[in-house]
Amino acid sequence: MSSDSRPIYLNLIKIKLPISGIISIFHRLTGLLLFVAIPVSLYLLQLSITDLDSFNTVSALMLHPLSRFFVLLVIWSFVHHFITGMRFLLIDLEFFLHRNTSRTSAWAVVVIEAIVMLLVIKGMFL
Amino acid sequence: MSLVALEGLRPWVLQRLTAVYLVVYAVYVVAYWLIFADLGFDSWRSWVATELNQILLGLFYLAVLIHAWVGVRDILLDYVKPLLLKLMLLFAVAVFLIGSGFWLLKILMMVNT
Repeated sequence: MSSDSRPIYLNLIKIKLPISGIISIFHRLTGLLLFVAIPVSLYLLQLSITDLDSFNTVSALMLHPLSRFFVLLVIWSFVHHFITGMRFLLIDLEFFLHRNTSRTSAWAVVVIEAIVMLLVIKGMFL
Repeated sequence: MSLVALEGLRPWVLQRLTAVYLVVYAVYVVAYWLIFADLGFDSWRSWVATELNQILLGLFYLAVLIHAWVGVRDILLDYVKPLLLKLMLLFAVAVFLIGSGFWLLKILMMVNT
């Protein structure tokens, strides 16, 4: 079969992706977001060690209501990428290879992630 | 194993090796932030300026840049079909990452003065 006539059916709305597939897609999305955040992290690092004034600027920036959404988004991206990434490393070591363990571990990722994010939100807003 | 298969093995290994370092370093820094929750400018700057932390930070960004290169490369290879566009985007990503690396070098030199 030539590569042009392969039956491709990739309607993401109609495909019922298992939870392991969903967290995998978000691993990519969050990875891309963290890639974009690299220069931002360098900028904030540079400001934070330049002098007291710029250190205070960074502190104020992190606490500003408008930037808090982005701070939370980047933290969530990092947390998700981190936890799903550890699951992928365990899969490389041949854990979670069967359908049941694959799904259980994927749900475990979601639960751990939710707990971590609740702690982050508690730390940021309460 | 064919040569083509081996060609894919190296980025795969780099992706995993850097991932392991990133996990370790992230735990190290987050633990520091949690322990010294109210850290001020002086303690933060002198912490970053220690020789050990400069080396670990340099390794962190090196790992980040390699990890990001393999990851974004995979995404571009998967989703961007036109060859010229794909090459241009790969080139842009490489410039972006190498530029970030030089920026970090500048920051490390700054913290030493």
